[in-house]
Amino acid sequence: MTPIKLEDLCAEIKTKAGCQCEIYDGVLGDQTISITPDQLKPVIDVIFKTFDYYHLSAITVQQRKDQPDEIEVFYNFWSGSGFSLMLRLPVKSAKLPSIISIIPGADFYEREAAEMFGIEFTGRSETPPLLLPDEWDQGPPFIGEKEKNG
Amino acid sequence: MIRSLFNLLVFPGFMFLVLSGLIFEWLDRKFLARFQRRVGPPWYQPLADLIKLFSKEDLLPKNANDLLATLLPLISLSSVLTAGLYVPIAGYTPFSFEGDLIVIIFLMSVPTLAYYLAGIISLGIYSILGGGRSLLQFFAYEIPLLIALSGPAILGGSWSVSSIMESQGRLGPFIIFQPLGFILAIVGLIGKLKRDPFDIPKATSEVVGGSLTEFSGAKLGFWNLVMDIQAVVGIFLLIDLYFGWTKMGYPILSIVIFVIECLILILILSGTSAIFARLRIDQLAGLGWRILVPLALLQIGFVILMGV
Amino acid sequence: MDKISIPIGPQHPLLKEPLSMMVDISGEKVLGGSLRLGYVHRGIERLAQQRTYVQNIHLIERICGICSHVHTTTYCYAVEALLGIEIPPRAQYIRALMCELERIHSHLLWLGILAKHIGLDTIFMHTWHDREMVLDIMEEVSGGRVSHAANQIGGVRFDLDAEHDKMIRKILIKLHSQVEGLLDVIETEPAAMARTKGVAPISPDLIKAYGVVGPVARASGVDVDMRRDAPLPPYDQLEVKVITHKDGDAWARTFVRVEETRVSLNLCETIIREMPRGDVVVRTPRRIPAGEVIIRSEAPRGELFYYLRSDGSDKPARLKVRTPTLAALSLLPVQLSEINVADIPVVLAGVDLCIACADR
Repeated sequence: MTPIKLEDLCAEIKTKAGCQCEIYDGVLGDQTISITPDQLKPVIDVIFKTFDYYHLSAITVQQRKDQPDEIEVFYNFWSGSGFSLMLRLPVKSAKLPSIISIIPGADFYEREAAEMFGIEFTGRSETPPLLLPDEWDQGPPFIGEKEKNG
Repeated sequence: MIRSLFNLLVFPGFMFLVLSGLIFEWLDRKFLARFQRRVGPPWYQPLADLIKLFSKEDLLPKNANDLLATLLPLISLSSVLTAGLYVPIAGYTPFSFEGDLIVIIFLMSVPTLAYYLAGIISLGIYSILGGGRSLLQFFAYEIPLLIALSGPAILGGSWSVSSIMESQGRLGPFIIFQPLGFILAIVGLIGKLKRDPFDIPKATSEVVGGSLTEFSGAKLGFWNLVMDIQAVVGIFLLIDLYFGWTKMGYPILSIVIFVIECLILILILSGTSAIFARLRIDQLAGLGWRILVPLALLQIGFVILMGV
Repeated sequence: MDKISIPIGPQHPLLKEPLSMMVDISGEKVLGGSLRLGYVHRGIERLAQQRTYVQNIHLIERICGICSHVHTTTYCYAVEALLGIEIPPRAQYIRALMCELERIHSHLLWLGILAKHIGLDTIFMHTWHDREMVLDIMEEVSGGRVSHAANQIGGVRFDLDAEHDKMIRKILIKLHSQVEGLLDVIETEPAAMARTKGVAPISPDLIKAYGVVGPVARASGVDVDMRRDAPLPPYDQLEVKVITHKDGDAWARTFVRVEETRVSLNLCETIIREMPRGDVVVRTPRRIPAGEVIIRSEAPRGELFYYLRSDGSDKPARLKVRTPTLAALSLLPVQLSEINVADIPVVLAGVDLCIACADR
């Protein structure tokens, strides 16, 4: 499979999904473009349906200590070369549309993100915990205390 | 009277059969280990396992019928022991009568039915699954086995094992005339003993322990004894029906030849266990009905023609 | 027959590690299943934020027992990328050698498990016996059979001398002939083929939709292998033959893994032959400059994904690990529909579960 050029991808997304995307060059090893949460589903639709083979490697979520009010979510893809989508959400009411209707394999990754960071995925019937025990009652483990109680 | 008691309890009855069962288990495990590049257990291992099982706690699920769970292995044990009384050992048989082959075959099937019932009354999911599979398997191998075993009876002109043996003294060992029947009988015996490749009811990866998953302690010890004795009775039966020229002048010679034949059969059983993978139940049923039964009928047809 | 649900796990003869599955069956047909992970969840990602980069090597090695080396290798490459350094070529080759040895021993282990589940105990005994030879090499070279602690940031912890070289070559030759014999059996034995051919085929579209990686994907014809596509040094100088098969059933998965063992053996021989001389480690600072990096590598079970972010201190700000088994597990409930109960072990074995990896 041939690696995708970022410019081609941006052009495709602009034509088919009608949204502008910015290139974020903070990550070594993967090309990243930054989008807003409401652009997520159309962009993924474009990616999954237009190009040769896309494989969702992971959904990486993190909270930066210097920006504690925000969560960063990466959707990491692989198709000949690494490529990611990045978006930022507020910590307290983090909501994202679920993409399992397009990519069923994202199920486990979304469940882990939901239980570890408290992100709510809309469009899913239920989001049961994946790794944490059923009796876990201490909230998302990765969010600092201040942000949780807020 | 004393003689009958001796026959019942010592030879060829209870003690002899139990001892043979343990020796068989040891030889089987040793051969299997050697095929697999392992060392294998020492000679006292099966006895040690039996003693260990009898000393363990006896647990059953709460609502399982304890009386039946105790009776089933005991009934199976008495059936195979009784069957063993009628099978000539190196030509010696104190109790034989016309038609004892049929009685032996019937008594040998009792443990299979008991195994199925044991699974049902255990009330565990794996036990029920294992029990059901054992019954399905029973139908697949029992018919070809019965048809194959009636071959020597027809050729020998009698339904008594000792008479069949004697007629082989005149005609020659029946394996020469019925090699196909012998192979089918071995296959049937493997199915009856629930050994690889027909150990579907006990397939550990699928049904954990099969019917006996919930059994422990003395009950499980009895079940293991039943399996071992079933194996030796089956082996003795096959030797008598197919290699029955052991009634020679010198008793020592007959015993030695009998032992050698036993070893060969155990080697065949262990070898097939080592070599083949486990079949699925539908593949076994297909094998049984589509291949084994027609072959068995072919063999019988041939035998009848030969008799004529 | 009625539908009953049988639990497989957390303790079950089929599973090496705890995993809870409820499988719905009716008679001998499986209707579907659901699974629950988390029995071995240790919170590695969170723990990694509380330990220094050097301490994390020790932690990450213990994510999984079978693929421990490739986890630490990926992590070390990630840290070295943030530092902007390249480790000496000899260290790269030693890392690759241990990776390939690990792949061989993982596939042999898997082959034994598959054989045991279908009743071929003999193959189980033989493959695990051969696997001991690989573990002997690892023990001689690194001091541990399963946990080698081979990597450190900036290189590897030990060097190979002429004695090691000779021993490794000798064992590789012996292993080659053993593996050839095993391959013959697996690829021609009728009962094994009857149990695996045509069982649970997966189409390439399903692979793409569920993000499945590794030998399972290659067995369905998807041509992806991180050693060739995203090569970490020295794989960019080695030629890696990627094995694919088009059927996608259990037998194809067996075939792919078995052939990969052969490829790995050849790769080991090449690595030993072409190993450059030199140092095996460079000195590195304790504090890692701020930055983010993504590294992918090929674990025995598929694509291993590491995301590492540093904020300039001596502890990582975020470490994200996505192991290949996690992707394969999402496909498992789908695979479990429309097969026989007797095929459950074959399907589970085909996925090559490493729950410790998936749970982290």
